[in-house]
Amino acid sequence: MFIEKLVESVQGVTAELGQAAIWLSAFSAIWAIVMLCIGLSQRKSNAVQSGRNAIIATFILITIATGALIFGFVTDDFSMMYVVEVSSAAQPLLYKITALWGAMSGSLLLWLWILTVAGAIVVWQNRKASDTFADYALIPIAIVQLFFIIVVTGLIEGVYNPLARFPDGIVMPDGRGMNPLLQTPSMAIHPPTLYIGWICLTVPFAFAVAALMSGRIGSDWILRSRRWMLFSWIILTIGITLGGHWAYQELGWGGYWAWDPVENASFMPWLLGTAYLHSVMIQEKRNMLKLWNILLITLAFQFTLLGTFITRSGIITSVHSFAQSDIGWYFLGFILASTAGVIGLIVHRWQRLKSANRLESLLSRESAFVLNNWLLVGLTLIILWGTLWPIISEAIQGEKATVPEAFFNKVVIIPGLLLLFLTGAGPIISWKKITPNNFRRMFLSPIFVGLAAAAVAWVFLAFRAHAAAKAPTEDAIPNFFTQAWKFLTFSESEKLLWLPTPIFSVLCVFASVFVLVAICSEFYRGANLRTKRQQTSFLNGLWLLIQRNKRRYGGYIIHIGIVIVYIGIMGSKGYFLLKSDNLKLGDSMEVGTYQLTVKDTFEEEHENYLRRGVVFDVEKNGQQETTMKPARHYYDQAEQAEEEQGTIESAIHAIGLNDLYIALGPLPTKINTDTYFNVQVYHNPLIKVVWIGVAVMVLGGIIAIAQKSDPNSRSQAA
Amino acid sequence: MKQRRLKIIAASVILLSGFVVLVLSMTKKESMPELSPAKLVANANSKDNQNVKVVGVISEESATWDAANTKLTFAIREPKGSATVNVVYTNLKPDNFTDGGNVFVEGKYDAAKNLVVATKLTTKCASKYEEAESATTQKSAY
Repeated sequence: MFIEKLVESVQGVTAELGQAAIWLSAFSAIWAIVMLCIGLSQRKSNAVQSGRNAIIATFILITIATGALIFGFVTDDFSMMYVVEVSSAAQPLLYKITALWGAMSGSLLLWLWILTVAGAIVVWQNRKASDTFADYALIPIAIVQLFFIIVVTGLIEGVYNPLARFPDGIVMPDGRGMNPLLQTPSMAIHPPTLYIGWICLTVPFAFAVAALMSGRIGSDWILRSRRWMLFSWIILTIGITLGGHWAYQELGWGGYWAWDPVENASFMPWLLGTAYLHSVMIQEKRNMLKLWNILLITLAFQFTLLGTFITRSGIITSVHSFAQSDIGWYFLGFILASTAGVIGLIVHRWQRLKSANRLESLLSRESAFVLNNWLLVGLTLIILWGTLWPIISEAIQGEKATVPEAFFNKVVIIPGLLLLFLTGAGPIISWKKITPNNFRRMFLSPIFVGLAAAAVAWVFLAFRAHAAAKAPTEDAIPNFFTQAWKFLTFSESEKLLWLPTPIFSVLCVFASVFVLVAICSEFYRGANLRTKRQQTSFLNGLWLLIQRNKRRYGGYIIHIGIVIVYIGIMGSKGYFLLKSDNLKLGDSMEVGTYQLTVKDTFEEEHENYLRRGVVFDVEKNGQQETTMKPARHYYDQAEQAEEEQGTIESAIHAIGLNDLYIALGPLPTKINTDTYFNVQVYHNPLIKVVWIGVAVMVLGGIIAIAQKSDPNSRSQAA
Repeated sequence: MKQRRLKIIAASVILLSGFVVLVLSMTKKESMPELSPAKLVANANSKDNQNVKVVGVISEESATWDAANTKLTFAIREPKGSATVNVVYTNLKPDNFTDGGNVFVEGKYDAAKNLVVATKLTTKCASKYEEAESATTQKSAY
């Protein structure tokens, strides 16, 4: 009783305190910018220190504001507008906390808070630095912080302050509650993961700006922000995958990626970040591409903001389209203004940005890196083109138009396969120029093994395509050669980009095996050398090899992960089976080699929803495989009686690396023996491989990030 | 040296133009106009037998759900207006499919019947979860 009273009396105070903290943080951010500018330009260390302190102060203030909002959620403070919007008294505690990013205002506050954490970490990391380089980087960080603070204050129409309370002391009896679709563990962690990944990109960008401002355009800024960049890349990789995983489990359409504008918005910064991670190596090794690296990281940073513009401005119809507001246009304004600032600085430092070296040959590691960058940036631009096509088409044709998922699949497949090939070719080609010796030693066996695997895949897929074709057409005069030709050219298969679809699988198999052999032989050669030199076991030699050069071999492990992901995508996107059917109790259907029979229905009461569904018996060749229970969840009892809708809760059963996936249509309130159940059943081959591949990529990233940027490599690069 | 640079430039130009051609031709091939019901009805003849994307709201009490054939028929209406376009969708009825809810469909338009045979149907929540990033997409087998 006493505690309840105490909470009640504190509730209003905390919200007001949080609002005050946001307003104060605007001053501390401005203070940081002004003091750092004065301190660095006039070499006053007191002012610089004051600026650093202000960055810490911003962090503390925004932490208070975020804490006040979480307090409001946990204590069900329904005098707060945002709490009412995304929470309710019945919501489980976990989802009360994750409601923080359940809608726009809170998401922006979370974004800002993570940014202030990043700022504070940069200050802390460089507390003993002998130079002022990191202090330059704090200026752009504080400017971005200031922009987000202004957005969060609620000055902009359409976005209210997440700590705002209803006017005139109104307190709502209960909140509206968060959308049930978002009340799942992967949706609880997916948005903040993506935010962390995006926001951490601000730090390498800030160091690039610091290099331009201070005039120290060596590789210093790259080395100092290397771990930030890798961290951001790892987290983005995880975040994007979690989004796909959520869609796969929750949305009931059996897929994990559909080239939706929001998915694209998360993918584009990742592509640019990946390009940057490669191109910086050229700058470190060969002192080239200085300007390009600065442009690339600027672009990657701007694309994180562009995502918000795309989703919030309402100009694109997306699955995710959030409430429309003016905020998108503020983001666009900030993107343009900050880009103009960077371009101004580039012009200012033009002389120092020239490359010391040039490409010497088309077939060299430098060229492979450059081609990799072209492809990654090209892919980004292609995806951007498709995403913004509604705007572009309206501008040039006067009619708004969109491109479907098929467009993206068609335009990314060739650059995607070239990139896959490069993940193997890049690491084994020699610097400056390929030599016949290099080619023989490094390329011949991967190519031969790749070709052999491709030939096997070709025949296997030809058999598969032939078996899948329903009515084999017979020639008037059966001719062995024409039959064989038809068979091997996949004449019965569907076409993609003027070629039969399986051809792309064959190319993918060739490239994958080529890369695996190339990378594994790199590991083998290195480990073998260590084993002999140290007279130890092979495994120990392998361990030593990775230990000594974590960056390089961590990178190779990421490449292996990429290959695994490609194989998973090839299987799950290229060869999934989908069957829709209507079944009554006791009916059966067949999907591939599986037979599914409706055995029973069920109903379960849960904390804040009702679960109803159907029990399937799954058999393979007459042998019982498992039972599956696809269901629908009804969060609102009244709604259930009225609409019989609920949300889809698919049943997923893993069979080795493949999944059997059942989505259930709406159920009537009363079920009897004549009731039809609508089901969609997918057989998704190799889908598990996608998740495994991502895990390998993350593992490689963690190994690579473990390597400190040691001063030796810095002096080498200089 | 000069020849080498020429080679590099030539390779870049070929690669670049290849991609530009690919992207433009695919855009031309796949692009489909995005229309409101009123606009589609007004330009019915020019859009006959074409793929279109129609954005509107689910017309009140227009939806019928034929469970035995997994067939959903309904009308999309102008959010603020009376023009409607009929839709038939042979697939699972998606989550959040409620009268007055936002919806967009993609499919072939039949001007004579004022009907879109939808291959993709996406719903967005109506009022209750307006702010939340909620939506579901359903696709039928192509």
